[in-house]
Amino acid sequence: MAEYELDCFGEACPIPLVKAEKKLDEMVVGDILIVLIDHSCAMKNVPEWARKQGHNVEIDEVDDGEWEVVIEKMK
Amino acid sequence: MSETQTGTTRIQRSQSSRTRSRKPKKNQIPYAIGVFAAIAAIGIILSTVSANLGIFWFTGSIFGFILQRSRFCFTASMRDPSLTGSTTVTRAVLIAFAITTIGFWAIKYGAFLRGLPIPGQGYIAPVSFATAIGALFFGIGMVIAGGCASGTLMRVGEGFTMQLISLLFFIIGSLWGAHDFGWWKLNVISEGRPVFLPDVLGWGGAIVVQLLLIGCLYVMADKWENRKKESDS
Repeated sequence: MAEYELDCFGEACPIPLVKAEKKLDEMVVGDILIVLIDHSCAMKNVPEWARKQGHNVEIDEVDDGEWEVVIEKMK
Repeated sequence: MSETQTGTTRIQRSQSSRTRSRKPKKNQIPYAIGVFAAIAAIGIILSTVSANLGIFWFTGSIFGFILQRSRFCFTASMRDPSLTGSTTVTRAVLIAFAITTIGFWAIKYGAFLRGLPIPGQGYIAPVSFATAIGALFFGIGMVIAGGCASGTLMRVGEGFTMQLISLLFFIIGSLWGAHDFGWWKLNVISEGRPVFLPDVLGWGGAIVVQLLLIGCLYVMADKWENRKKESDS
């Protein structure tokens, strides 16, 4: 069970989502992807998208205005 | 739905990434009180200069606050249906349009009933292909910039530095646009015809047709989201 990290600090709204989507495609079920973001909009649409795809998602506010979206690939 | 609640068991992640991410957070309440006091103080000073200025200041502050807290994003409302298939924000925008439709209709119809000049009629701009072409340009721009006008301002306020660049070019573009606007208005925009729905459909018809259109878009947005869900599973 591998763990990947995706640094999306400073990237505006759709980019973290697109990057996470591409990265998740390369991963196998059970792998964990941690997306680091500091864009409030991405903080909303990355988890929403991932949950809709059926993955487990957790959000950690690491610092003020910095989040880690932890996605466990489920399928 | 709260942002931390997932309804699933906690994801097991490696210890190193977990401990690394733990930083003590500063209490922000004193800042909040300070900013609130500053907003009130500036508002009072501005309203002694001019009553309108005070109102603009307070409505602007409230608008920004709501925009930030609600994560309302016009860009996402147009982009997410094709990017992720989610229409949550789209539907929120449609509801906002419906509410403002009723509000503006009430204000205008109220003035009409009392025989007063209808407010805001100067903002009825001619409709033509220029509107559609301009909307397309605006759409391309806002998706690349990561936010429309209000979204960019809000994120700069949040401290998202990359969008300072968007803001800079947003200002340059606005100034350039304002500089040439007279020419565009004379040669392109005035070719179209301004349409005020109550003139065409009557006051009752105007609000019914507009709300029906918004309702149709809402149903379409809802159908779109569920269609995506079925094809994915």
